[in-house]
Amino acid sequence: MKTFNLNATWNSVKRSIYKFSRNKISVVGFFMVLFVVIVAIFAPFLAPYPKHAGAFVDYKNASQPPSLAHPFGTDVFGRDILSRVMFAFRGALIMGLGVIAMIVPIGVFVGLIAGYYRGTWIDTVIMRITDIFITLPALILALAVAALLRPTLFNSMMAVAFAWWPWYARLTYGMASSVRNEVFVQAAETTGASKAHIIFKEILPNCLAPIFTKMALEIGWVILVGATLSFVGLGEQPPTPALGTMVSDGAKYLPHQWWISLFPALAIMFIILAFNLFGDGVRDMLTTEEV
Amino acid sequence: MYSKNLRKFGVVLVVSLILALVASCGQAQPSPTASSPSPTASSPSPTPTTAPYTPKAEDYIIRSTEDWPTYIDPAVGNDFSDSISLVNLYDSLVFPTPQGEIEPCLAEKWDISDDNLTYTFTLRQGVKFHNGDELTAEDVEFSMKRLLTIGEGFGYIFSPYVQDCKAIEKYKVAITLKKPFGPFISALPRFYILNKRAVMENIEKPGPYGDFGDYGKKWLLTNDAGSGPYKVKEMKMEEYLLAEKFDDYWGGWDPDAPKFFKLSATSEPATEFALFAKREMEITSELLPLETYNSIAKLNGADVVAFLNGNNFNIMLQTKKPPTDDIHFRKALAYCLDYDQVISNIYPGSVQSQGPVPTVIPGHDPNVFQYHRDLEKARAELAQSKYADKLDQYPVTLSWCAEAPEEEKVALLFQANAAELGIKVEITKKPFGSMIADAQSPETTPNASLIFVASHYAEAGAMLMSRYHSSNCGSWEQCEWLQDPEIDRMIEDSLATVDQQERFQKYYAIQEKIVDLCPTIYVFDQAERRAYQSAYVHWLPGEAAKTNKVYVPIMGYGMYAHDMKVWPEKRAELLSKP
Amino acid sequence: MSLLSFLARRLALAIVVLIGLSILLFLIARVLPGDPARIALGPRAPEYAVEALRKQMNLDKPLYTQYYLWISSLLKGDLGMSLLSRRPVQDDVKEYFPATFEEVLLAAIILSVGGIGLGILAAKYSNSWLDGIVRIFAYLGIVTPAFVWAIMLLLIFGYWVPIFPIQGRISPGVTLPPVITGMLTLDSLLTGNWVAFWDTLKHLILPSLALAMAPMAQAARIMRSSMCSDLGADHVAALTAYGVPENRILTKYLSRLSLIPTISIMSLDIISLFAAAFVVELVFNFPGLSRYGMQAILNKDLNAISGVLLIFGVLFTLITILIDLIVAYLDPRIRLQRKSI
Repeated sequence: MKTFNLNATWNSVKRSIYKFSRNKISVVGFFMVLFVVIVAIFAPFLAPYPKHAGAFVDYKNASQPPSLAHPFGTDVFGRDILSRVMFAFRGALIMGLGVIAMIVPIGVFVGLIAGYYRGTWIDTVIMRITDIFITLPALILALAVAALLRPTLFNSMMAVAFAWWPWYARLTYGMASSVRNEVFVQAAETTGASKAHIIFKEILPNCLAPIFTKMALEIGWVILVGATLSFVGLGEQPPTPALGTMVSDGAKYLPHQWWISLFPALAIMFIILAFNLFGDGVRDMLTTEEV
Repeated sequence: MYSKNLRKFGVVLVVSLILALVASCGQAQPSPTASSPSPTASSPSPTPTTAPYTPKAEDYIIRSTEDWPTYIDPAVGNDFSDSISLVNLYDSLVFPTPQGEIEPCLAEKWDISDDNLTYTFTLRQGVKFHNGDELTAEDVEFSMKRLLTIGEGFGYIFSPYVQDCKAIEKYKVAITLKKPFGPFISALPRFYILNKRAVMENIEKPGPYGDFGDYGKKWLLTNDAGSGPYKVKEMKMEEYLLAEKFDDYWGGWDPDAPKFFKLSATSEPATEFALFAKREMEITSELLPLETYNSIAKLNGADVVAFLNGNNFNIMLQTKKPPTDDIHFRKALAYCLDYDQVISNIYPGSVQSQGPVPTVIPGHDPNVFQYHRDLEKARAELAQSKYADKLDQYPVTLSWCAEAPEEEKVALLFQANAAELGIKVEITKKPFGSMIADAQSPETTPNASLIFVASHYAEAGAMLMSRYHSSNCGSWEQCEWLQDPEIDRMIEDSLATVDQQERFQKYYAIQEKIVDLCPTIYVFDQAERRAYQSAYVHWLPGEAAKTNKVYVPIMGYGMYAHDMKVWPEKRAELLSKP
Repeated sequence: MSLLSFLARRLALAIVVLIGLSILLFLIARVLPGDPARIALGPRAPEYAVEALRKQMNLDKPLYTQYYLWISSLLKGDLGMSLLSRRPVQDDVKEYFPATFEEVLLAAIILSVGGIGLGILAAKYSNSWLDGIVRIFAYLGIVTPAFVWAIMLLLIFGYWVPIFPIQGRISPGVTLPPVITGMLTLDSLLTGNWVAFWDTLKHLILPSLALAMAPMAQAARIMRSSMCSDLGADHVAALTAYGVPENRILTKYLSRLSLIPTISIMSLDIISLFAAAFVVELVFNFPGLSRYGMQAILNKDLNAISGVLLIFGVLFTLITILIDLIVAYLDPRIRLQRKSI
């Protein structure tokens, strides 16, 4: 079994960082993620035409191929694609981080409760409910829910969260229910610790490693689902740029105006790759190999 | 056993599959000519070195695409693709000519009573329906009753006026009106005649219409009961209508007329371009982006034509929902739109609209007020509206039609223009089916809807009626919810006026009053732009556009396949060139 | 505990879950605003017709009665009326499901053969340039969404190297085979219609490829890493010492083992193929159930949405059970376990 003790001392933190840095690919991933974050935050200053990411049209300049003035070309509305891609990083990041931030507390909490009360009706009910959700793949459920709501970034985040949270509940349930039977938990119970203390101070810390690993690995996938939602028009609405929307808009003009789809598609791949490499590194960092 | 042998076998299998696939690609296409191609693209004679091309029946086909969904039931359909289908599958008592006049069709002649309330039609004899039955006055009577009872589609044109429709003799039918209806004959092409026996054999009971069950609505989704030049061969509701030639059509046939007519749902512009380039489509839809038309124009044997088609493009403002319920707010929007950019850059060839009625439609008022971009006036109007200082609390919701990608350009321009006034516009792309559903109640209709509207018959009154009379509220053609009793009265009064001059004067008065109320931003009269395979297809609107001849199409009649011609040998010749 | 009781437990569980799913979908459909009868007949239909339809749709009865009636008609196979196509949803499903099924089937074959094959290759030649290429492809493949693959394939094979058709199921002019299963490739094969077979297969390739690329990369990666780690194991060293040829070790002994985690992942992957098809079928205008579902979703066609989601729910549950059975069979540890799972 692979385990990790989160009761960290400063030394063990330093060790983990060192371990992370040994893996070249993970370091590359880390810098890629850093790049994405910096671009997203400082887009208004970094983008050559920040106005083009808002309510702006210039039909005389429409559909220009890549050039020095517009390294990624312009789209059919005359807007600079490079600037819009940079601003679109924001939506992608908010989707990825926001959704994970929403579902982890809820999913983990539900999983903890189910794991603690393992074997009782609470456990059965909660697990059956999560079973219902995971019958359908996250994408389909997210698509259906997003379509029933008004298309905004927040609503598409809600839709993805709605489809995604059960996985964290199940993961936590699995960990919690096995930890629950460990000796130190029983000891705590015998000495009269409250339920809250046991759940949050004894069980939870020992479930954290797989949870963090899953979080790190999944940011990329959440962003991918978000891009798919905006590809079919269920994310941010114009003029706010969204990578999936830019790809689908540009697809109409293939193959002649290929740059309109290509660069946003490459940007999507870059972001997901960044988080994947970074996530792999976090996973390797948090798990110790057994000899 | 396993390992090496299995792997080798697998590799051989995969390689042979690939080879077979590539080989079959070669088989499926016509073999290229070995000789040099003919010197000019327009040379009509086929290159002599290959075996003579014998066209099969299915090569005499005209394929086009249009906005979906399509309802081919004459009591239900009322949109572009519906009209195109109905025009080819059914006949009416009269037929609109390309010059804008009315000529006899199923009715050889008609008499009008002195009080203008009874029209007696003498029917042509020997007209056959697709199933062989003869068309008689009974079928006309049945069709009118059905249209009025179901009440959908074009029924709204006739229900305020038609009292009764009775078969007096086998070939004589009398339609009595409740009140005079000036443009009745002009409107009559929209009354399509169905085969009573065929429909009654296929009704489903129990249904909402009592003894008539579902009135055959389910059967008519995918079948036709018509007498028109084409009959339904295949109707796949989500994808296409394939119609084949009805040999016994009473109107006779030109030898080069198409034997098949296929109308499919539009797909991505890239796909449409590919189909057209492979000569698998003869006439494109009118919904493609400009870039795609420009790419098609570069192809051999293709022509891109644009003609004013009697449709206009509107930004319909919801007059019952804040902030567009305030007339000054609406006028501010009308003054801020950059009409010139729309006309020169987004829809070249179109002309800015002047009022609710397109300029080519008889009855259009040439003196009605026309808005132009003027930020000063816009700001002045906005200041008078009650939302002037609460702009961020009242965003304007806007929907545009997903099947017409160019509309997004107008939507974004409108958003940018409105932003100059501080007005926030929220844009949503919706499939047309959704827009139809949204239009059904004032709560779901957005503040602004971008919609192309067509005139259902060749008079201003048709447009005014369908667009602003409250009886048509809830339809996608009226996203304004105007419901103004004075306008209703004026429209009804004009339509009851039998004298054409008088009627037109009344139309003018209505147009002026409406423009004053500013329920809509009239953007442009549409120049319908289509590409067609001029090398092997004869298409009247295309020819007329090239020679600047007058062509007054009623929605759908531009695609009357009976009058088109197709030459498959020329298509084969085009395909054999590199 | 035998395979049979394992199966029985899983089926019972599945039924409970599906009932829950149906309740969820029913509530969503009923809670949303709008009068389904009015929407079905259109704004200009006379009021008495709308009333009659309302009674026909049982909208005047209490909620639990409606649910009961809905479920009973569901079990009879009646999924309600679709708004868009204006015909029963079950007819639409019958028409479109085989298309998606054969598309996903081909994608599953491609991804299994390709993924496992590439994984074995990379493990065999690990740390060589071949391995490097496979690993790069694996990474890129995983991070590329299915719709990006679809657009890339559309670009490459639709325009630059036009050897495959880019839309629809069959070329115009090719006669359709008679409907036996609804799957055009199978039906043409069964009736000996070679032209139709190749034609429909060609139409399937691009959508299936677009679906298969990402999971194939994933499967290759897992197969490779699982085999690589196993290569260092003791029993492999023992086999080598005994003189068993390397290829034999790879295919007979190791593949079986590495197959287990790969197959478990593949079940999820095959299910997600249906999900990815929602967008891929849109790009290629492929008339399958996923595109139908996507359009129902975009057009808020409630009956069609719940019908499609239920069909998929049942399908995915069956697939999961099937894969679990296969895994249980393959893994002796699970098969021979006496405790409950």
